[in-house]
Amino acid sequence: MKITENLSKEEKKMLNSMSLRSFAMHADRMGPAKFHASGFTFCMLPAINRFYKTTKDKEAALIRHVQWYNCTPHAENLILGIVASMEKEKSLRGDDFDDQSITAVKTSLMGPLSGIGDTFFQGILRVIAASIGIGLSMQGSIMGPILFLLIYNIPAVFLSFYLTYVGYSLGSTFIQRVYESGGMQILTKAASTLGLLMMGCMTAMNVKFKTTIALSIGKGKPIALQGYLDQLFKGLVPLLITVGCFYLLRKRVNINWVMLGIFILSIVLGLIGVV
Amino acid sequence: MLKAALIAMLVMLLCYAGSYLTGNSYIDRPIVIGAVAGLFLGNLKLGLTIGATLEAVFMGALNVGGVISSEPAIATVLAVTFAVTTNISQKAAVTLTIPIGVLAAFVLLALKNGVMIIFAPILDKLAATNNQKGLIFIHFLSWFIYYGIYAVMTFIGVYAGSSAISSLVKFIPQNLMAGLNTAGGLLPAVGFATLMKILWDNKLAVFYLLGFVLTIYLNLPAVAIACIGIAIVVVMAFRDKDILDLKKKKSAVATKVNNGLDQKQQEEEDFFA
Repeated sequence: MKITENLSKEEKKMLNSMSLRSFAMHADRMGPAKFHASGFTFCMLPAINRFYKTTKDKEAALIRHVQWYNCTPHAENLILGIVASMEKEKSLRGDDFDDQSITAVKTSLMGPLSGIGDTFFQGILRVIAASIGIGLSMQGSIMGPILFLLIYNIPAVFLSFYLTYVGYSLGSTFIQRVYESGGMQILTKAASTLGLLMMGCMTAMNVKFKTTIALSIGKGKPIALQGYLDQLFKGLVPLLITVGCFYLLRKRVNINWVMLGIFILSIVLGLIGVV
Repeated sequence: MLKAALIAMLVMLLCYAGSYLTGNSYIDRPIVIGAVAGLFLGNLKLGLTIGATLEAVFMGALNVGGVISSEPAIATVLAVTFAVTTNISQKAAVTLTIPIGVLAAFVLLALKNGVMIIFAPILDKLAATNNQKGLIFIHFLSWFIYYGIYAVMTFIGVYAGSSAISSLVKFIPQNLMAGLNTAGGLLPAVGFATLMKILWDNKLAVFYLLGFVLTIYLNLPAVAIACIGIAIVVVMAFRDKDILDLKKKKSAVATKVNNGLDQKQQEEEDFFA
């Protein structure tokens, strides 16, 4: 597929810069409430600075992107490309373009791309590379680690650049077409639906809670509370905690207090032996 | 021992921290880190074999999400260092480093789920003021602090030796560790809540519950849920498009009515539209 033919020189420069930045996307360590938010924003800076001229617009874009983000390295470059093309459209259409759709598209892509990416990169590519590498290393050959790195990284680096271009090219033409047919509202609604569905999925996968409390009644085996909680509704506590956080944030409670609250609650639960 | 400890620290910085600047290139996997440690310590062959052994051991151990059980990287560096600098066997070196891996995992847990969350509000503030330099700075600052502490731990691990470390592991209260683990499990909720605040729509809220239930009860992978979601969304979008088209036609008809069409004809137009 010829993905570079309709791109200007500046656009190619921007995409290359974003792909290069994506090498350091996962460098940040800002806790589980942010994950790689600053990394994603760091990679988006070339696009943000290119498309937005006023400080106010840039601020809005930055605020949009410093939210919880996590995805498999390399595979996520597709998101980078698509989001860049949406930011371009947003900068052209202004308030006409609902910025909720950018977040929605980004959110709905993280989960599935991680699923595909983890299987491909960690499950297949890494295991193939390691099995070849281990054999050679065991014989004392330096080719072991070298081949391991080459087999894994050559396809990975190639894909990270390629996917940024694919995301950007597909994204911009697709979004432009949808906009002109008057279906932007439909797209935003669809993306939000998919986004919320994937949020539910990610909540279930990433928010974890398990109590070790067991009530000993009489001489019988102690009854584990977690078993009852699971019978009532599996994942009840993670769901309630997430919805609770959402409620508090909607009530404009400062995010720091919410995080601190969860942190203290967890430590207290640990110290009194609930978890 | 000081020289060996410094080398071990350098290898950790170079490989473990470096991996996150080179696109998660896996230079932090035991097979690579063992070879590099061996090379620097002057016994490449030993490094290669220990690295390969631990790579096989930790083949399935990937840190998924925020949960860490043991740290292969630090275990490898220490195993190679001990095997090269002392005259314990290769096997014993590998075994000895296991408690250190657990200790390292504990410190990482406390860092990741406790200390590092102080950066989150700073990040929000920097974004709100378009402070891009600051944003890039704390992006890499958080990297430097996190892996800097980790490298210092490696240094201490080698310098203090493993007997001191295994007694330290026993010293950490179990319930504190459990509390930190729980915090790591619950804190992503805040991140999701902020995203939900953006996406929320009362009419669509039920899809959040659907995604949750599909995952927790049916154990469906994210890809499968996305496919189900796409099916639902496509059907919804086509219906919405039909409604949109109808509305467009209706307004077109309305203009025609103004141009002299009577009520009955308009209804016919609507019906056949």
